[in-house]
Amino acid sequence: MPVFKTPFNGYSVKFSPFYESRLAVATAQNFGILGNGRVHVLDLSPAAPALTELVAFDTADGVYDLAWSESHDSLLIAAVADGSVKIYDTALPPTANPIRSLHEHTREVHSADYNPTRRDSFITSSWDDTVKLWTVDRPTSVRTFKEHAYCVYNATWNPRHSDVFCSASGDCTLRIWDVREMGSTMIIPAHEFEILACDWNKYDDCLIASASVDKSIKIWDVRNYRVPIAVLNGHGYAVRKVKFSPHRRNLLASCSYDMTVCLWDFMVEDALVGRYDHHTEFAVGVDMSVLVEGLLASTGWDELVYVWQQGMDPRAV
Amino acid sequence: MATQSPPSPSSTAGNPPTLAAETSQQATGVQQDGPPEAAEQPISSPSVFVNSEPMREEQVQNAVKFLSHPKVRGSPVIYRRSFLEKKGLTKEEIDEAFRRVPDPPPSAQATSANQAVGQVKSSSSNIQSQAPTQALQPQPAGAAPTAVSPVSTTMMSRFHWYHAVLAVGLLAASGAGTAVFFKKSLIPRLKSWIRKVVLEEEDDSENKSIAKPSLAEEAAAAAKAAAAAASDVAKASQELLNSKNEERRYFSELMNLLDVQLQEMKSMSNSIRKLEGPSNNSGRTSLVNQEDHRDSVTGVKQPYANGKADFDMQSVRSSSPPAPGEPSVAPHPKSYMEIMAMVQRGEKPPNIRDINDLPPNPNQQLPNPRLAPKAKPWEVGQAQNASGQVIQSQVSAEGLNFKVQDNGLNHQSDDDSSVPWWQRKNVKITEVGEDEIKAGPYSVRTNEPPVQRTWVPPQPPPVVMPEAAEAIRRPKPSGPTEQSTSHQLASQTSEVTDELQRITKISEAGGIEEIKGNGSVQNSSEIQEEQETHA
Repeated sequence: MPVFKTPFNGYSVKFSPFYESRLAVATAQNFGILGNGRVHVLDLSPAAPALTELVAFDTADGVYDLAWSESHDSLLIAAVADGSVKIYDTALPPTANPIRSLHEHTREVHSADYNPTRRDSFITSSWDDTVKLWTVDRPTSVRTFKEHAYCVYNATWNPRHSDVFCSASGDCTLRIWDVREMGSTMIIPAHEFEILACDWNKYDDCLIASASVDKSIKIWDVRNYRVPIAVLNGHGYAVRKVKFSPHRRNLLASCSYDMTVCLWDFMVEDALVGRYDHHTEFAVGVDMSVLVEGLLASTGWDELVYVWQQGMDPRAV
Repeated sequence: MATQSPPSPSSTAGNPPTLAAETSQQATGVQQDGPPEAAEQPISSPSVFVNSEPMREEQVQNAVKFLSHPKVRGSPVIYRRSFLEKKGLTKEEIDEAFRRVPDPPPSAQATSANQAVGQVKSSSSNIQSQAPTQALQPQPAGAAPTAVSPVSTTMMSRFHWYHAVLAVGLLAASGAGTAVFFKKSLIPRLKSWIRKVVLEEEDDSENKSIAKPSLAEEAAAAAKAAAAAASDVAKASQELLNSKNEERRYFSELMNLLDVQLQEMKSMSNSIRKLEGPSNNSGRTSLVNQEDHRDSVTGVKQPYANGKADFDMQSVRSSSPPAPGEPSVAPHPKSYMEIMAMVQRGEKPPNIRDINDLPPNPNQQLPNPRLAPKAKPWEVGQAQNASGQVIQSQVSAEGLNFKVQDNGLNHQSDDDSSVPWWQRKNVKITEVGEDEIKAGPYSVRTNEPPVQRTWVPPQPPPVVMPEAAEAIRRPKPSGPTEQSTSHQLASQTSEVTDELQRITKISEAGGIEEIKGNGSVQNSSEIQEEQETHA
């Protein structure tokens, strides 16, 4: 399975929704504490299992997250630690990039997500407690959602309802928003500790997974949100990212500070169905490909990016 | 929003599948939720994502008690809201609690002021007309504590002032009362003295002796009255003290309750930690982490907390104090600790460059999309009904982009990617729930050769447009050579992989008819290419 070594510590990895073999990696120097950042666009060379870099973009501050555009195959959104949101055209050389830099957040932008149904807008969440809605063609944000009492670590769109998204915050709540409404439409006090990630189930649009510092992942049904429908324990430390599979209703992947990437089936009693411990530092980014079933990618603070097929050993040659 | 609740709880419970079905049929993945849900429920927005519970009175009252606490009143509103949200209150309940909280204190103040005034009045009248009114005073004094105790917590800070005012007023009243008494006693004394003087010639000694006892009597009466007044004052102050003690008791009870709750929570978290304790002792915990218990293992903010609150450097992530009593901290890499230490000392790590990452041309035109968006796997089942859903194949050759019409096939016309290595499946996968998925899984996944042999170059792809494949292949001369060497192996596995692919595409596109046509095309083109490589 191919490995790519990044010069900086990895933060996020995302598969392209247009090209099966393409993915982008967000990295930050010095663990994201203080330093530059870099966005790598990698290609899985079909010949040998290898990852080659197509293009890379340097940033003044660390890049915490990426989102591929769903409308333009070459556009990439980067969430940067200096509070700016940068848009890159991967078909243009680095000297012509970025094509946009949107600076409205007053603190680090921690996540970016592109709307998969409407395909014209994206949301960014930041440590300034807000979530902002943008479109690629506008120089300013369309809306700002300010209700959380602490950093918003993640915001993700509902895969079926084009106006609904969910946000996960350090104030220990999940909030569901509708862009047509003034404020949040639902507040789920999901954990006793900070919630680092959330994701919607692609096949049941009422299920949300939340990943928290308390090492657990909880699956919530918004129709009955007082009690989670499943609690997934097994990680040794905080769970950093969670991602529902685009191909299977019950499968989700997660990565954690315990350096492992885990696969779960939340409908089963013994939910942990796979564990990959290929990283030697915090595993911070994980993604499941929408175009290729079972293809996983992960990155971590050990400056490595792995791409492997579910069931295989990521470190196998 | 959530107030339009009556039909929604029942309807949402039963209808989400139909709702989803409706919305899915509506859309080609764009703008789905308006009309069908409007038909379903009175609200046009997806009401599943809205709180539809009625307000819970008990929660609201608990929230009111919480918000009335003096310490809470001093905290920012956002933290009060956040606390209540974490307790599970809905927005409406929180708003209602905020609405209710400012009201009680002003009215309680008014009642207690009235009580104070009443007390003063009653005490003065008591002193003026001794006996009967003594009963009145205990009543107001008794009423005052009960009136004041419900708002004891809010009145605590002001009570001392009122206490002082009351005491002063009472003393003044009693002083006035004694003054009045003395006056009353003085006037008869004067009168008697005048009488004595007038009648001095007639009966000096008799009058004197009569006057003295009366003087003495009246002096004694005055003294008694003064003593009574003093005792009344003492009683009043005593009762005020008692009420104050009562209030202190209430307050301490409240604090105790809060403490008990805190203790319970702590014990719960402890027990949780104990339960998870064994799994955590992986031998990787370092001294640093055990000391830095305040470090939260939250997202990226946590690394910067490191037990300290703030950095001076503006360019460094500044942190907020993490919550106490959090789960065990993950051990951070050594170099991470070094960098943190460096940053805290105010040094900048050496390897940072000055990079200008601003757009060179802020008005750079957005590129034209080269590919049409693909349908998502979870939308595929719905896309069947949507006409004209053209899924275009992808070409990942450097710089070359082709638009290849494809009937629901998702493959690359690259030279050796019919089964790219990343699409190979391993039989070791224990997939669960294989039968229930809309965008079906590979039902013949387990047909893969069980032996994990060394990597084999994949077959030439089954392409729809061989000309395109030709054009792409030219720049890559290395491709065909690899294939020719392991051609025999490849041909053996080709059938299996072809089967896989065909079935894959069947499940993906959901239409068998389409595939059949393509299948034949694939076979013919494959044969062509195989012949080519032979030559």
